[in-house]
Amino acid sequence: MNFINQLNFPLLSLVVFLPSVGALILAFMRGRREQARVFALVWSVLVFAASVPLVLYFKSDVGGMQFYEYFNWIESWGVRYSLALDGISIWLVLLTTFMTPLAIWSAWNVEEGLNSFMMLILLQETGMLGVFLAQDLFLFYIFWEFTLIPMYFMIGMWGGPRRIYATIKFFIYTFAASVFMLLGIIALGLLNYRFLASAGQPTETAFSLQSVMANIGGFGLSETTLKMLFLAFFVAFAVKIPIWPLHTWLPDAHVEAPTAGSVILAAVLLKMGSYGMIRFNVQLFPQISAEWARPIALLAVIGIIYGAMLAFAQTDIKKLVAYSSVSHMGFIVLGIFSLNSQGLQGSVLQMVNHGLSTGALFLLVGMVYERTHTRELADYGGLWRVVPVFVFFLLFATMSSVGLPGLNGFVGEFVVMVGSFNSPIGWTYTAVAAVGVILAAVYLLKMFQGIASGPYNERKTPHLSDLNRREVAILLPICALILIIGLYPTYFFGAMEKTVADLVAFVANAAPAVAGR
Amino acid sequence: MENFIWLVPALPLLGVIINTLLGAAALRGSHHHAPGDSHDTHAADHGVHHDNGVRRVGWLASAMVGLAFVLTLVMLVQLLGQEAKVGEENGRFFDITYWQWMAAGDLRIPFGFLIDQLSLTMMLLVTGVGFLIHVYSIGYMSHDPRPTRFFVYLNLFIVAMLMLVMGNNFVMLFLGWEGVGLCSFLLIGFWFEQRDPPWAATKAFVVNRIGDFGLLMAMFAIWGLTKNAEGGALHSLVFREVLAPENVGSLQFVQTAFLGTQYTAAGAIALMLLLGVTGKSAQIPLFVWLPDAMAGPTPVSALIHAATMVTAGVYLVIRTAPIFELSPSVMNTMALVGVATAFIAATIALGQYDIKKVLAYSTVSQLGYMVAAVGMGAYGAGLFHLLTHGIFKALLFLGAGAVIHGYGDEQDMRKMGGLRHKMPRTFATYMVGTLALAGIAPLAGFWSKDEIIGHAWYGAEGGATHRGIAIFLILSSMLTAFYMARQVAMVFFGEQRDKSIHAHESSPLMIWPLIILAVGSVLGGLINLPGLHPLTSWLEPLLGEEAAPFHVGLAAVVMVLALLSGWAGFTYYRRAERRIKATHRDPLHRWGGDFYAIFEEKWGFDSLYNAIVVQPYKYLSNVLGKAFDVVIIDGVVNGSANLVGLTGRGLRTFQSGYVRSYALMFLVGVVAVLGYFVLR
Repeated sequence: MNFINQLNFPLLSLVVFLPSVGALILAFMRGRREQARVFALVWSVLVFAASVPLVLYFKSDVGGMQFYEYFNWIESWGVRYSLALDGISIWLVLLTTFMTPLAIWSAWNVEEGLNSFMMLILLQETGMLGVFLAQDLFLFYIFWEFTLIPMYFMIGMWGGPRRIYATIKFFIYTFAASVFMLLGIIALGLLNYRFLASAGQPTETAFSLQSVMANIGGFGLSETTLKMLFLAFFVAFAVKIPIWPLHTWLPDAHVEAPTAGSVILAAVLLKMGSYGMIRFNVQLFPQISAEWARPIALLAVIGIIYGAMLAFAQTDIKKLVAYSSVSHMGFIVLGIFSLNSQGLQGSVLQMVNHGLSTGALFLLVGMVYERTHTRELADYGGLWRVVPVFVFFLLFATMSSVGLPGLNGFVGEFVVMVGSFNSPIGWTYTAVAAVGVILAAVYLLKMFQGIASGPYNERKTPHLSDLNRREVAILLPICALILIIGLYPTYFFGAMEKTVADLVAFVANAAPAVAGR
Repeated sequence: MENFIWLVPALPLLGVIINTLLGAAALRGSHHHAPGDSHDTHAADHGVHHDNGVRRVGWLASAMVGLAFVLTLVMLVQLLGQEAKVGEENGRFFDITYWQWMAAGDLRIPFGFLIDQLSLTMMLLVTGVGFLIHVYSIGYMSHDPRPTRFFVYLNLFIVAMLMLVMGNNFVMLFLGWEGVGLCSFLLIGFWFEQRDPPWAATKAFVVNRIGDFGLLMAMFAIWGLTKNAEGGALHSLVFREVLAPENVGSLQFVQTAFLGTQYTAAGAIALMLLLGVTGKSAQIPLFVWLPDAMAGPTPVSALIHAATMVTAGVYLVIRTAPIFELSPSVMNTMALVGVATAFIAATIALGQYDIKKVLAYSTVSQLGYMVAAVGMGAYGAGLFHLLTHGIFKALLFLGAGAVIHGYGDEQDMRKMGGLRHKMPRTFATYMVGTLALAGIAPLAGFWSKDEIIGHAWYGAEGGATHRGIAIFLILSSMLTAFYMARQVAMVFFGEQRDKSIHAHESSPLMIWPLIILAVGSVLGGLINLPGLHPLTSWLEPLLGEEAAPFHVGLAAVVMVLALLSGWAGFTYYRRAERRIKATHRDPLHRWGGDFYAIFEEKWGFDSLYNAIVVQPYKYLSNVLGKAFDVVIIDGVVNGSANLVGLTGRGLRTFQSGYVRSYALMFLVGVVAVLGYFVLR
């Protein structure tokens, strides 16, 4: 293994595979429920601790990839095992390692097969971290598909009554879409292999992202072929995000998923799609990204409005939050295809923000569902008097999601919209997106008031107890981060500044039409 | 002193933190009987006056705001010590940046404060009136089961309001702008068990958000379009940079087409800002939230929905005046919006029976005066009226609160009557407020209202006159005198109509703020007394406005008209007293007939919005949610999956290894594709 990094230590591999090691150890702890869950929690906190040096040693003034480590894996194909991170992926890695312990802690009282459940969460973490860190197309694809498996079992075995339908839908949507990406990856890899071979260069990096990025101009591809390749990636990511109209798997998966599954799904899994869009669609196909920015932004703003309206129409709280994701993820896509610093930085930050606020909302919905066993909004009311601590956190998460200035959601959405307003996408799209900000208040306050205010329905929600210490301890770190990002996002922007600036310059260079800003 | 500016908002914030922690500790203390035991908590809610800790939390909260007021006074002295003008520039300001709030690419939003004549004036109003209302609330909330929560919200509101007026850039202003919206939401819905308050709270927040949309769009455009003198992009939202005379003009040179009309960027931005103003300051078309906001506790109505938050729109216009100045058509629109609101709201106030609703529409109407004033470019007059109105309307609301508090929480004026004997101090101070609002010399409202009407009738030096606006403002002022006379007659004179209610005077804690505010309502005119014009000359380095001459003739005519109208209202309702019954409509209905019904129905704004916005949105959402998403979108995808035989069979054979066979198919496919590429 070669590693070129500031630590002289393969820290990324450690962070990626540590959770799997934990899962392996858990396999030997069958029947010891108490120890197993404590172990899983402690282990995932360790993983988080191991990921913290990435931030501490990250050089935000250096462009390009850092903490690079690789070895030649399948040399004859030019496939490498290589991991690295830059200013775009660093916060997503931290988001993953931050949310996983909280998800594990929230699953404290899973009744059947707790060991296996914890194992799946840890395996899931490895997969997600691998997606954010892989620098080889082939490796990326393996991690990408790997993330499906634990989630598939989490929903399929611990889910609600319609879990079978939900898992199949989830699996088929994402798997089918990924097949296109696989084709794209194979095509790019082989093309690059041929290009390298014909240029007399070593072919061991044929599948490596950096190499493809550097050489793609020399493949001699027609514009149609480039567009087909762009679409192959785009469809896979669009399903994952999800972009309207490919979103219908999401509400079903969320509603049936157990709480921890929903949290991971909303907080991290969806971000793999938006991350992939920056990493592959924008980096590999800058001209096409610029050319298609408007149509894609159109889908994004349709998603913003459509998701908001559908969230409003729901009577099931969890479904409401699920549709709110469709709306919020639209801002992220809008920001990405603004292709300027504000849009890209805003959307990367918004990925983290959405993970925190929607993660918190799913946690809260799960906590109250554990007590009442109902998710019908109409069954709720007056919880403010009965469980004030719960409602305090609900208010906090709701306001973060509404985009109240001073909390994180506002920063992300504001910067994204500054970006899109002043990009070739133009102000009309931004105006529609800003209408989505109004609608967010409509559906989120409908949910909040429906739960917190009005008369208390003792028959439908009896014997409510307020949040216990464990639950408060799960929510407090999220709320703290929501506030910190809201008031001092500069720190988070700072790490991605250089990477995004380079990317914007790269796009502007490749597609002079959008070089206006 | 400038090193301690941050203390002004930090003190109330400290109050928020301490009281929250105390409240959380108390919650823990009572934890042993709280969980789910609703009978127990219910009993506590309606419990007979046990110690709810209102004095401790209330005095702490009040002290924080009081200290902030003192600090603001110190700052005033300091600013007065600085030279008013340095060359052509305003010399009296502190502009302090604490940290970079947002920085992405060339976007730079500082977290910082700008203290100048305008923001300091607003801070004095916010902390001064805020302090009195805090003290009053200690008495008012003494029977409430949740005083801690109330004072936390109230302190938080002061923090947010200070952010709004102190922020040195648009985004800081927006932080306060939405922050006060949140506090308003929480306080309107304070009595969340009831049916109306939560609904009114949501309505207020959502309608305000529509206005915020305008503010957001304006900020995006300003950030992208302002250029410095050399033509380079400024990329800043800092007031002192963007609004500097040499920069702001660049907004005029960018054109944009919308719906076939050409707009300058300045015009479009000003229009968007105006949308924000109509939301926060409750102007047509977005005023509908304010009357419903009266569902909150009365001190809240006094502080937020009369004296401070709702004036934020007027503050915004004065602050961003250089942008509005570039677009005379938007200024005219604003003046028309203001005068229309002033008139229409005054008529609606005529048809209300709820003591607070009358004051609410009166507030909308008076805000219309201010918006009309700033729309005509009379910034000093607008701010003058903002200040005096803040004092006397706070007095009126607190007086109404004392009436409600001392009259068994009854708000229907038709059930009141004769309360001047039972509540002599409340009555006396309420009369002062009424005369001030009606514009009777020498009380505060007379001077400020007259300055606006004078400006409309005669115009500024060399500026255009707005006689039509002036006439409608005078009519509104007559209506004001009439509906206040009606209210006073119905509440304080005649016989008590509901004998079952025991009426009593409020505690000194509530009366003292009334007396202080009453003194303020008498002397408030001194703020900008004709001849001296302290306010105008204080603002002169900032706004560049000359003091307007005082027109004795016009002022006398307006006041005589108001007196006549007030006298007519008073005698009419005194004579018609026997016909005022809780189950009957207003005596005026016999005269006004259908016209009066229009006033009672609030000109149909709520019904209109319900019919053209709310119901269609609900309907469309439901169609999309229940039909479109499930049948069409899902149908297409499921259908195409069925077409290739995946789900139809898969759903049935899931447990019999469907996924395995799918994975196998997948593997075969991949190998085939790989093979094709390799062997090609």
